[in-house]
Amino acid sequence: MTLSWKKALTIARREFVTTVRRRGFLFTALGTPAYFALVMSISIGSSAHEARDVLRAFRSLGVVDSTGLFERAERSIDTSLKMDENPFAQNVEVRSFRIDVHFFEDMASADSALRTDEVSQVLVIPADYLETGRLRRYARKSSIFSSADRRPIASWLVGGLVAGRLDSLQAARAMRPTEQIQLYTLDKDGRFQYSDDRRDLLDFLLPFGFAMLLGLCITVGGQYLLYGVATEKESRILESILCNVSAEELLAGKLLGLGSSGLLLVAFWIALGIPFVGAAAIAVPVNLSPVVLVAAVCYFAFGYLFYASLMTGIGSITSNMREAQQFAVWFTFSNFAPFIVITMILSNPSGPLATGLSMFPPTAATTMLMRLTAPSSVVPGWQVLLSLVLLAGSSLLALMVSARVFRIGLLMYGKTPNLPEIIRWARRG
Amino acid sequence: MLEVREVTKNYDGRAVVNRVSFEVHPGEIFALLGPNGAGKTTLIRMITDILKPDSGVLLLDGRPVGGDRKRDIGYLPEERGLYRGDKVLETLAYFGQLKGLSSADARAAATGLLERVELGDWLQKQVQSLSKGMQQKVQLCTAMIGDPRVLILDEPFSGLDPVNVMLLEEILHERRAQGTTILLSTHQMNKVEQLCDRALMIHHGLMVLYGKVGELRRRYADYAVTVKLDSDAGVPADLPGVRDVSARDGGFNLTLESGTAPRDVLRALLDRGAGVESFALASLPLEDVFVKVVREGLGLDHGMSQAAAPIEDVAR
Repeated sequence: MTLSWKKALTIARREFVTTVRRRGFLFTALGTPAYFALVMSISIGSSAHEARDVLRAFRSLGVVDSTGLFERAERSIDTSLKMDENPFAQNVEVRSFRIDVHFFEDMASADSALRTDEVSQVLVIPADYLETGRLRRYARKSSIFSSADRRPIASWLVGGLVAGRLDSLQAARAMRPTEQIQLYTLDKDGRFQYSDDRRDLLDFLLPFGFAMLLGLCITVGGQYLLYGVATEKESRILESILCNVSAEELLAGKLLGLGSSGLLLVAFWIALGIPFVGAAAIAVPVNLSPVVLVAAVCYFAFGYLFYASLMTGIGSITSNMREAQQFAVWFTFSNFAPFIVITMILSNPSGPLATGLSMFPPTAATTMLMRLTAPSSVVPGWQVLLSLVLLAGSSLLALMVSARVFRIGLLMYGKTPNLPEIIRWARRG
Repeated sequence: MLEVREVTKNYDGRAVVNRVSFEVHPGEIFALLGPNGAGKTTLIRMITDILKPDSGVLLLDGRPVGGDRKRDIGYLPEERGLYRGDKVLETLAYFGQLKGLSSADARAAATGLLERVELGDWLQKQVQSLSKGMQQKVQLCTAMIGDPRVLILDEPFSGLDPVNVMLLEEILHERRAQGTTILLSTHQMNKVEQLCDRALMIHHGLMVLYGKVGELRRRYADYAVTVKLDSDAGVPADLPGVRDVSARDGGFNLTLESGTAPRDVLRALLDRGAGVESFALASLPLEDVFVKVVREGLGLDHGMSQAAAPIEDVAR
């Protein structure tokens, strides 16, 4: 049958305009990044603040030394903390803290000092410390989320052990032996590249972000389609529309219009993120191959087609939006399933799990994007090609089946069909 | 002209429309009748190219319906709905564009139609702010926009108040005068008698009645005549060819024997000196015909084998 693109584009334009005009669209556009920003800032900021609060509260350390090894140890500990709420900021604030050290003859007096808040913590060094390494630390409370108070104690112990045996420089180095260590790792081109905390973070964030954007884009577009079909079916307007256009024209218009809405949303999010991405890119240069970008576009196109077709089918066989959502949630879940195992994928991007998921159509788009952007990952060209072919083939199959089910399901009201009935529709349509 | 020839549609091995044939001419209002579940909606969906027939053809001016010919058919379905959040004018203009009009032409046509149905003050209102009757009029406009050559209206009067029923009747007469082919599906038999030229009734997917509305009503009146006399003497006895006489509406209903010509009965009455004020072929209200056909299964035996046969053969 011939498809009138004029009609399909008329439908696409209406779907697009109606969707982006909705208050819900604006809420999603602004609310989603705001939510992520809030969660990220709370998560990163709170860990830095937790460490700061722990060190700020750690004003003094009581020591009960049964070994006598620490008589010459320093009577104060100087330590510092990087306040890296924004890991890609050019200038990181460093805060200094001083902890006074008080020696106690016995545990009873130290206990009393701790209870009266004369000291913040008490460190008990048993006589057999050298042989066993056993230590006891007493505090009024402990922080669940930060162990920032352990590092200065460790440094003080090292300093105490080497006091008088090493010069001050050696002693300082012994206390912080790996403070300035630099790690170099192989990049995709086989060159060793400096890898710091920021690079490590970026190595995670880049594939995560790319895959998340792709997943969101596919899901949002698919959800709009589900909503559009289910609500139109619910509103009983479809018969009037189908008198004027074919089911295929309606389907094509919806795929185009609602897919564009999803793309606009993601483009808006990217635009919002550019200032932050820009800052990160200045701090840690990123080289993204154009091939990856082309692959991302292909995976979006086929991934969207795949999920949108499924959502269309679901929307057309169910009677209302609530019922449609119950079916759709499983497909949405499969799109995001790779995020559950993202650490396994990124730590072994060429392993069987990552390779398998990137070939399996429902998870292919997000997984392959993770693999392609993962650090030091080199995905063979044939795997990308095979994955794309499988995804494209599945998408077209899903579209064909969905179009057949769509044509019949749209005008069926009441009972949701069972699987044999859906198969019959797919054959008959 | 709309032609439906030997059209059949099966669902799960059951024929819901079975070899149905009929034609509707330009400028004609044609009734499509049948009890619930008779197959009317399926038949309409095939005419509007929403469904494809398993066999048979549907032609509009000699060419198959569907494709680019969708613009020639306007349809008001029984299952109604509109985009509730959209403005009235936008909604209608959208349907105009789907009918192939440009954006500007669609808006102009939509404005004209909405003014015609007395909704000119509601163009910029949201559909959901309209009453049910108003929404129905908007929906009627969605069927009429683009001036389709065939207008199919499924229960167009339901939900309308008497004033709007009159308005709709006026519009139907206007469209008929313009040469539009109108196919009306309704259970309001008085409207069929009042508006329609011809009718088709289907039952269990089969054609059971097809012909002019007046003829259908007479055919099912048990082959009778109605007589009014100017005296109280009553109908003379022993009238040849008359099987039964009963009083009705201040006159008499004379059931005739098969083969008796009504004019012979009239002549016999006059010969016997009866003062005949009026003499007419009896006719049943269409509603009674409908009930009779559905309850008694009349015409069913003939429907499938003589689907396209003329009314005389099918009905009796």
